Order: sequence, then C-alpha cells, then structure tokens
Amino acid sequence: MAQQPAIEPMHQFLIHKIIQGPVFHVGGLAVDMSITNSVASMIAGAVILIAFFALTARREIVPNRGQALAESLYNIVDRVLVGPIIGHGGKPYVPYIFTLFLVILVLNLMSVVLAVGNVAGFDLTFAVTSQLAVTATLAVLTFFSVFILGFVKHGPRFLGLFWVSGMGIFGGIAMVLIEMISYFVRPLTLALRLFGNMLGGHVVMSLFGSFVVALAIVGLSGGLATLALIPSILSFAMIVGLTGLELVVAILQAFVFAALATVYLNEVVNFGHGH
Amino acid sequence: MATETQESTAAPEAKSAGLPQFDFQWWPGQIVWFLIMFLVVLLFVRLFAAPRVGGTIDARDEKISGDIADARRLKDEAEAQATAAAAETAQARAAAQRVAAEARAKAQAEVAARLAEEEATLAEKGAVAEARITKARDAAMANVAGIASDTAGIIVSKLTGKAATTAELTAARG
Repeated sequence: MAQQPAIEPMHQFLIHKIIQGPVFHVGGLAVDMSITNSVASMIAGAVILIAFFALTARREIVPNRGQALAESLYNIVDRVLVGPIIGHGGKPYVPYIFTLFLVILVLNLMSVVLAVGNVAGFDLTFAVTSQLAVTATLAVLTFFSVFILGFVKHGPRFLGLFWVSGMGIFGGIAMVLIEMISYFVRPLTLALRLFGNMLGGHVVMSLFGSFVVALAIVGLSGGLATLALIPSILSFAMIVGLTGLELVVAILQAFVFAALATVYLNEVVNFGHGH
Repeated sequence: MATETQESTAAPEAKSAGLPQFDFQWWPGQIVWFLIMFLVVLLFVRLFAAPRVGGTIDARDEKISGDIADARRLKDEAEAQATAAAAETAQARAAAQRVAAEARAKAQAEVAARLAEEEATLAEKGAVAEARITKARDAAMANVAGIASDTAGIIVSKLTGKAATTAELTAARG
C-alpha cells in the first residue's frame, strides 16, 4: 500500500515560530513577540501595501495601470462607501476606513494567491485573517474607536442612540436593552464573519487538495483502483473553481468589513440627523 | 509508517481538541504585532497614500470640470460672435439693398427723363415735318388747280379748235 498523507485541513492554521523574539510579561500575561508564520505574513502584507502605494501613487492626470488600480481602491472607500453613506462629514475618516479595507484585502488575497506556492512545496501562505485573534482585534479596534468617537463628539447625549422614541417609558426601557444587545454584538459579528469566511474557504480548499493527492495515490496503484483517478481529477477541478470563489470572497469580505465600519461610523458622524 | 500517521492526526486533537485558532498562547503576540502592523499602515495611508491618491483624483476632477467650463465659455463666446457677425451681415445686406434700390431708381429716373426729352424732340420734329407736308400739299393742291385749268384749256382747244377763257375754265372747275 502506498503512503497515505494524512488529511489535516486544520494544519494550515497552526502557528509556529520562525524567529524567537522577546517575551514581555504584562500582569501575568505572557506576550511573546516572536516572529511566527502569522506575524511574518502580516509584515509581508504591510510591506506589499506600502510598496504598492509608494510605486503607484503618482500625480499624473492620465493614470497608468498601477495608478488607476490605486485610485480605484481609494474610490471604493471614498466614493462608494464613505461619500454616499456618511456624506461630506466622513472625509476625515476615509484614511482609517481605507486602511481597514487595504489591510484585510491584502491579507485575504495573500492567503489565496500565495497558496499556489504550496503546489511547489513552498509554505508561503498563511491566512492571517482566518486567525480569530486578528479579526477580533480588528473588530474591537474599529467598534470601540467608533463608540469612543461618539462620546468625544456628542458627550453623554450619545447614549440616546439606544433610546427609541414613541415607545412609552416601559417600552422604551425594554427597547434600550434590545438596542444595547444588538449594538454590542457588532464587534462579535464583525470578527466572526471575516474569521468564518476565511476559515471555511481555506478548510474546503485544503480538503479538496487532500482528495486530489490521496485519490491519485490510490488510483496509481493500478487495477480497479485506477477509477479513483476520476474523483481525483474532479477534486482538482473543484479547487480551480473554489480558488476563483475564494478570490471573490477575499475581496468581498474586505469590502463588507469596510462597509459595516462606515455604517457604524455614520451613526456617530450624523448622530441626531437621521434618527 | 502506521505510527507516523497516528501521531500526526492525534497531535492537533491532543493540543486543543479543535481549531488551532483557539490556542490562546499565540493571541497576545499576534494582537500586538497586528496592532503595530495596522498602525504602521494607517500612518502610511494617513500621511502619504490617502492625501496623494485622493489629491490626484480631486485635482483631475477639478481639471476636467475646469476644462469643460472653459470649453463652455469659449462656445458661448463663439456663439455670441457668430450672432454679432450674422447681425452685421444682415445690416450690410440691408445697406447694400438700399444702395442698389437707390441706384436703380436714379437710373430709372434718368432713363425716363431722357426718354421724355427724346420724345419731345421727336414730337417737335414731327410737328415741323407735318407743317412742311401740309404746306407742300397746299402748294401741290394749288398747282393741281392750275394744271387742271391748263389741261382743260388744252383739251377744250383741241376739241373745239378755240381756246376757252380763264373765266370759263374757272367756272367749269367749280
């Protein structure tokens, strides 16, 4: 019997150290600053983003391809999200939303595109955005930045966000509870949506990848088992299709995260106008 | 070989009995590194990328709307000039028509005057000629009476052999 590689779709999410870094102890919590495969991917993402904009952010009236791409990305945030949703008051927040969008986009795309390297045996890819620690950080950072901005801009009046008028005293109090739950569940949904989408896609791709190899090994042992080559090839076709789907998901989830952050920010910037 | 497979499948299960993402020993380091990375990108975007890209887009929009406004203004100017030119042309045409009409009227008047003059001359000449004809006719008529008397005298003398008197001839002529 030929050697069977184990099917371990979760293996790709395992973190391992590349360079040992200092470990800080903050109140009994050990913060290990080692460069892991996850941290290396984050740094690579930041380098890609900075290099991309350093190269493409030219001041030409007639843009070349790189400049057109950079401007399209910026317009997605500026003219598709912030402009229509928040209006003119949203201008100062465009850089933050743009950063959110770019960071999620580049990390998502890296996890799909660089996975091609796995075919040749290079372990280039690590899906940073399928780490709950990272998506939760993004969600909490965004949610509480917006929440605190609400108090900075409007003071205690901002708590009126939870008050639904026209319900009477008791109805109003009951609605405050419901509104507060639905409000504070937002960071959870933000974190889990991105985490779940990236996790699911990568698990499915990994599973079909394992099928390709496992069934091909069975198929190559000859005899009636040769029929196993058919599902092996079908699995490979599935991977091709799934890769396209995952590219769409990668872009869409970055857009969704940025769009929701914009919607939450809108409640703060236009507080008292739309309610 | 069998033990190898067993080990590799059993290892993750033993670690966290589920997703590697819930292995919390990696959380603090990942969170801190991610915040650092996010802050670096945020600063880069805030200070360089967003103003540069956004500024270029705004500058392009301004240039395009400025160019369109310029084009519109030039078009309006050209239209105004065309209208003025058309008015001038119409004025010039009217003036030319007036001059032409005047010249024609003058020419007609001249022609009429000369025609009248010629007619007058002709009428005068005609009158003179008529007077001369009348005179000649009268003269001729007078001569005819003499010739008739003479002829009658000759005829009488030939027929009768003796000449008739003038009184007789005149009476015979009646």
